[in-house]
Amino acid sequence: MSETKEPKPMSSHEDLVAAIPYAAYLDLRIEQADDGQARVYRMPYRDELIGSPRLPALHGGTVASLLELAMQFEVLIAEQQTRIPYPVDFSIDYWRSAAAMDCLCRCRLIRSGRRIAQVQAECWQDDPDRPIAFARADFLLRAVDGDNPAE
Amino acid sequence: MYEQLDKRDPAIRAEIAARFNGGIPYNQAIGLRVEDVAGERIVTALDYRECFLGDPVAGLWHTSVGLAAADSTCGLAVFLALPGLETIATLDLRMDYLRPAVAEQGLWIEAECYHVTRCVGFVRATLHQGERERAVSLCTAAFMRTGRQLKP
Repeated sequence: MSETKEPKPMSSHEDLVAAIPYAAYLDLRIEQADDGQARVYRMPYRDELIGSPRLPALHGGTVASLLELAMQFEVLIAEQQTRIPYPVDFSIDYWRSAAAMDCLCRCRLIRSGRRIAQVQAECWQDDPDRPIAFARADFLLRAVDGDNPAE
Repeated sequence: MYEQLDKRDPAIRAEIAARFNGGIPYNQAIGLRVEDVAGERIVTALDYRECFLGDPVAGLWHTSVGLAAADSTCGLAVFLALPGLETIATLDLRMDYLRPAVAEQGLWIEAECYHVTRCVGFVRATLHQGERERAVSLCTAAFMRTGRQLKP
C-alpha cells in the first residue's frame, strides 16, 4: 500500500476487482471486447448464483449486481477516477430470465460532468442480440476533496 | 387446495417464507434471514461479512449487496400478498442510495407489497441498519404474476 493519501489510479483490471470485495466475491472479470475499445464485464456461472432451481435461473439480484458493478468500473476506468464512484441511484429492467451460465455486460457512459456520471448497461448470455436485462445508474464522482458520503 | 391457504395466519406466513427463502440458493449463499413476516410489512436481515464491502478503505457495504437482498425481500413480500403459491418474476426494480451502509453492522430490509393487480404486484422497501428513520436506501419494484402455482 502507498503511504500517500491520494491513491494512484489502479492500473490492472485484476487490481480493480480486488479493490472491491463484493466484485471479487462474484468473481467479476473485466475483459476487452473483440472489436477493440469496449470493455466487457463477465460474471462466471456458479451454482450459488441461482435464484430459481426449477428453471434453473440466476438470481435477479446477481444480474443486477453485475450491472451495477460493471457501470461502477466503467466510470472508474473511463473517467480515470482515483476513488471509487458511489452510485446515487440505480434501476433495472428484466427482459428475460437468466439461464445457468456466464453473464456478460457492456456499458455506455452517457454523460460525465464534474460531479455526476450517468451510465447505461446491458447484459446478455449466449447471444448479444438477445439481452436479458438493461440498467441505468447515476454515480457520484469523488475527485473533489471533502466529499464524504456519510454526511 | 393451496389457493385456500390462509395467508393472514402468522404461522402459515412464517412457514411459506422459510420455504421460499430456503429454496433460493443465492439467499442462502449470502445468509439472508427472514426476521418477521407476521404483518404486511415483512422484514429480512443480512449479517455483515467482509466480502460484502464495496469500499474497504472507507468501511462501507457495497450497494449491490442490498440491491440483491432487496430483490429477494420484495419478491417474498409479493409472494405472501398473492393468493395461493403463485410464482412471480421481477419486472423492474429501482434503488435510491440515501447514505452508505457501514461495515461491522447488519442490514435490514423491510418490504411491503402495496398493490396487486391481475398481472402485477407493486412493492416498496426500506433498507436500514437498525434505525428505520435513517434509511440507507429505498427500493421500488414491480413483479409479474406468472399465473402458475408452485407444486410443493
